[in-house]
Amino acid sequence: MLNNTSNLSPSKQLAMNYFRVAIVLFGAQLLFGLIIGLQFLYPSFLYNFLDFSVGRMVHINALVVWMLYAMIGSVYLMLPDETGIEHPVAIGLGKLAFWVLTAAVTVVVLVYLFIQVGPGKESTIWLINEGREYLEAPRWADIGIVVVVLIFYANVFFTYMKGKKTGIMTVMVADLMALAGLYLAGMFFTDNISMDQYWWWWVIHLWVEATWEVFVGALAAYGLIRVINAKREIVEMWLWIEVLMLFGSGILGLGHHYFWIGTPEYWWEIGALFSSLEPVPLVAMFVHVLYDWGKEQGQHQAEGKGSSIKNGPTMAWISINAFGNFLGAGIWGFFHTLPQVNIYTHGSQFTAAHGHLAFFGAYATILIGMMYLGIQDAYGLKRLKATFKSKMAIFLITFGVLGMTVALTIAGYEQVLVERAELGAGWQAFFTAQNLPWYVQAQVWREIMGVVTFVGFVYLVWDLLTIGKVQAKAEQA
Amino acid sequence: MAGKKASVWTSISFWRRSAAWVTGFATILLIWLTFDTMAQIRMGTDKELQEGVKRRIPAPTVINYKIDYKYDEKRGLEAPVIGPEKQPLFGKELSPKEAAALLHLGKLTSQAKNCMDCHTLLGNGAYYAPDLTKAWLDPMWEKTMPAMTGKKTKEEAMVEFLMHPDKYPTHARMMPNLGITEQEAKGLVAFLKHMSSIDTNGYPRGFSKTIKEFQTGGTYAK
Amino acid sequence: MNFHMFEQCTDITCNSFFAWLNQGPLTLTIFLHTVIILPMIWIYFSEKKKLERGE
Repeated sequence: MLNNTSNLSPSKQLAMNYFRVAIVLFGAQLLFGLIIGLQFLYPSFLYNFLDFSVGRMVHINALVVWMLYAMIGSVYLMLPDETGIEHPVAIGLGKLAFWVLTAAVTVVVLVYLFIQVGPGKESTIWLINEGREYLEAPRWADIGIVVVVLIFYANVFFTYMKGKKTGIMTVMVADLMALAGLYLAGMFFTDNISMDQYWWWWVIHLWVEATWEVFVGALAAYGLIRVINAKREIVEMWLWIEVLMLFGSGILGLGHHYFWIGTPEYWWEIGALFSSLEPVPLVAMFVHVLYDWGKEQGQHQAEGKGSSIKNGPTMAWISINAFGNFLGAGIWGFFHTLPQVNIYTHGSQFTAAHGHLAFFGAYATILIGMMYLGIQDAYGLKRLKATFKSKMAIFLITFGVLGMTVALTIAGYEQVLVERAELGAGWQAFFTAQNLPWYVQAQVWREIMGVVTFVGFVYLVWDLLTIGKVQAKAEQA
Repeated sequence: MAGKKASVWTSISFWRRSAAWVTGFATILLIWLTFDTMAQIRMGTDKELQEGVKRRIPAPTVINYKIDYKYDEKRGLEAPVIGPEKQPLFGKELSPKEAAALLHLGKLTSQAKNCMDCHTLLGNGAYYAPDLTKAWLDPMWEKTMPAMTGKKTKEEAMVEFLMHPDKYPTHARMMPNLGITEQEAKGLVAFLKHMSSIDTNGYPRGFSKTIKEFQTGGTYAK
Repeated sequence: MNFHMFEQCTDITCNSFFAWLNQGPLTLTIFLHTVIILPMIWIYFSEKKKLERGE
């Protein structure tokens, strides 16, 4: 992954750059996750030095940013294949934007780590951090991100206009516009905390439960065509069905974040039913992947050609994506989406459990799959087979995240029943629940499973660095 | 029946048009709902407070009033009760302008100190520290914390705690020292008191239970 | 008996279109779902006609 990208088209070379930074940030996310997970068990660990708030800020920002990097990378990867144009219209500017963005991210992280907090002034929000979960990036960086994303979008849009206009690319171009535009909703300050959170959710929810999901649908469609030669007409028809269902449920599903932030009661009904339907397209996506896979494999076998899979690791990650998206975003989300349940579970470890499995299942998986696709292209391999290391990465990361999710779910049950239902959510109620033996045990399991995930990550990086070279040699021999 | 037999269900064009329609119309509905909600979650005015007009998010001068959180029979959930008796913050009634300025400082400080990456506010944030939605009403501030910090009132105790949280540990998991100044701490107290007056449709449920138990000498009376 | 299926608006503000619809069993959300989905029937038949014409 680190070398040998010279035979790639410029667009794909840029994609590999984005993937490289993404994987580094992924590592940072896991590392800081381990630190703050440990603080649940040893609260004095790094106290007043690298406090939970700082570690958590890096943990979730690294998550969002590595995913955005990998998403941009994936788009640059599919762009030449879908449009038939190898040189995006402004590739030079695109490269510059990559370096500017990477420099900005580095500065932001250094400021998070070494300055941490500022005085209660506007200057803090502009220069240090904005103090809004997930959107902590200071305003200067917000503006920088907008500029960089505009350059990226212009590249994609004008290349699309110039080249072939496939259904997948049409969905992608429209979705990216919404995705980029929504970021603007998170760039203002207000004294009114309800107003603040109303618009904050426009960014967070309409990203992860609408536009990002459609993005994944488009990626999976592209991936299936590349990896198992799925028929474009079938894949694109499914994609439009997915768009219909994802946006149909996801846009007004936003209501499930408006139950308790000061917004009117009518959001209960809207949020409840629309968001309950959010898992439906996720089931559809799962069925679709399995259906296409089974169909192509069956045809291959009938023709006596063996496996239909041209990229083992990518196909494995796409399959885990299909199931993980349904399980993490769909099932774990539905667990606590109804207001009758959510009034007790809102803002508990339940949310954390859902967050871990959903971000992993819906996004991390398929983005890792795209990285393997990039490697296949970089080494010009006809077929990329999963190695022992790929399999270890798949197993350990998936098992680790599932384990963390189960542990956090148990912690969530404890917290919800004791802190919320029994004691009524006050300061003492909170700590009573936090100190319950079963809650503490669950947090220990979470940390252990976090370590498992991290070991899987080490295998992943090792595999990404070596798989291409080894198989290129084998293919030549 | 017309000549050709064709299934609409496998027609890309049908799904594309449907997707465009559903997405577009859901977006329009969301925008309409947003306008409706915006009107309802605008901050109220001082005049409305004086006249007892209920707002979901009251004016900043709500910090001049006594705030309670009680079960509402009709709505089947707990709701804030504001006034009518006054209970000015730090014993001094503030003008609308002063109250707004103090709230502004408090909200700004809450972001500058990144409260949300340990605590939850209105239930959103991180899960390492207690939810702050109704923190102003927490029974801990009635006797325990004033006694610990050696202050007479709960707002003074809050200011002292926020400035030096590492000096007043209540549990092994402690709030770090974030370099909060006295003025910033006062702003934060105003912000917390204001937040406790927001009508959150009954979240957190049962919070009044802890209040009532305190008042009747229950679990947290010590 | 009161099963609370129809509840008069008890929200802070009731003079809103959505609050008005929100007084019966899931009336608001079913209404919104319906107005979103119904036009698809029209899209269906219009597509069907197109297909039959062989476009």
